Amino acid sequence: MALSHFLAAASGARAVEISGLEPLHGGALQENWGLDARFSGGELGGDQRLVLRTDAATGITASLTRSQEFAILKAAFATGVTVPEPLFASADSTIWGRPFLIMRRVDGIAAADRITSDAALDPAFPAIAHRLGCELARIHAIRPPRPDLAFLPPATETGPERQIVGFRAYLDRHPVPRPVLEWGIRWLETHLPSPAGPVLCHHDFRTGNYLLDGGVVTAILDWEFAGWGDSDEDIAWFCCKSWRFARLDREAGGIADRAPFYRGYESTTGRRIDPQRVHFWEVLASVRWAVIALQQCDRHMTAGAPDLDLALTGRRAGECELEILMLLDRAGSCCDA
Amino acid sequence: MRDLPSAAALLALGREVLAHELAPLLPEERRPDALLIARCMAIAEHEMATEEAPLRELRSLYGSDEEPEELLRRFARDLRIGAFEDREPAEPAARALLWRLTVARLRRSNPQFLAANGLR
Repeated sequence: MALSHFLAAASGARAVEISGLEPLHGGALQENWGLDARFSGGELGGDQRLVLRTDAATGITASLTRSQEFAILKAAFATGVTVPEPLFASADSTIWGRPFLIMRRVDGIAAADRITSDAALDPAFPAIAHRLGCELARIHAIRPPRPDLAFLPPATETGPERQIVGFRAYLDRHPVPRPVLEWGIRWLETHLPSPAGPVLCHHDFRTGNYLLDGGVVTAILDWEFAGWGDSDEDIAWFCCKSWRFARLDREAGGIADRAPFYRGYESTTGRRIDPQRVHFWEVLASVRWAVIALQQCDRHMTAGAPDLDLALTGRRAGECELEILMLLDRAGSCCDA
Repeated sequence: MRDLPSAAALLALGREVLAHELAPLLPEERRPDALLIARCMAIAEHEMATEEAPLRELRSLYGSDEEPEELLRRFARDLRIGAFEDREPAEPAARALLWRLTVARLRRSNPQFLAANGLR
């Protein structure tokens, strides 16, 4: 098997025997496979529990390649962020059919609905939120220039002005007019914050993208959208309503109030979080997720991936539109009839 | 205007999965029930395909009887350039319309989310 040979060559083993291979629940854009393997010699000698991560059959263009995600994981691991140790990557499509990366398998659950509705975790949630604030702060400690991350576009190409251009270009192609998104984007355009020094942003740091095992954070996952950006963008993404799942009232990822999350972040960075900046980025988060949801639906509609889940994801854009209205025109909700 | 795929198309897709993927996995004695549900979905699919979004206010805003889709496009274009900003009574009317469109959209696709936000 080509994968066994690859693992043997990459690890310096005499041979690798794969004893288990199972699909894992993962993101909509990537496939994750649990991989049990016995390494004969080499740097991983013995039994290993691994994950093979590869592209799904169809993806959207904003995500990193697996080789690039591997480089990001290495940088995060070296900085002390709690991530699965990245081991190998390959762009050779003859081995698995698509490029892939290999990392250690970490125990825990990521299912956001399950986490946010688990009353048994209630006592632990403030500490988990604090820890996640610390983790995010460590990610943001990675700053340019970084030769190992030279493939990332400069922050000037991913800032809010560029995102606004991208949102509008997408809406121009979308067959259904979206007045609320246009209104929200206009607000963003006229309320741009002053630029902040670029940091490494995860760009999808939220409940559902970390693992919890017994109330302990065991891994930050899904780095496919990482890039240079404004640190407040990640803070707002974690807190925005779209990612609170079963607990809309718990503003930090559906698990806690913002206070412990903010405290964890502030105690690690020494920087006070500015709620006004986070408010801007929360509006942008709702617009961004609306556009991503519509793009996911496009994969079902036009990109050759008929799928009930993708089709229904497009309906979530309406939730984001409601949140945009609630963030920017709270008083208007009284005339909703 | 409604989201795509339409409610009717979603029903059709769900009905296909139910009838051709799930029903064969059921015990034989329950398969007729699954096919009945699929039939119910087909009926709802046809009825939903004829439902219309509330657009009376949009026509009132523009004082026009243009086609709803064209009016909605015009509304979106105007919002993009801030055409209603600092204009009375157009700005509050536009905001009220945004609320109505959004609430109507969620009533069709996710009334639970509306309720969770204190709306109905």
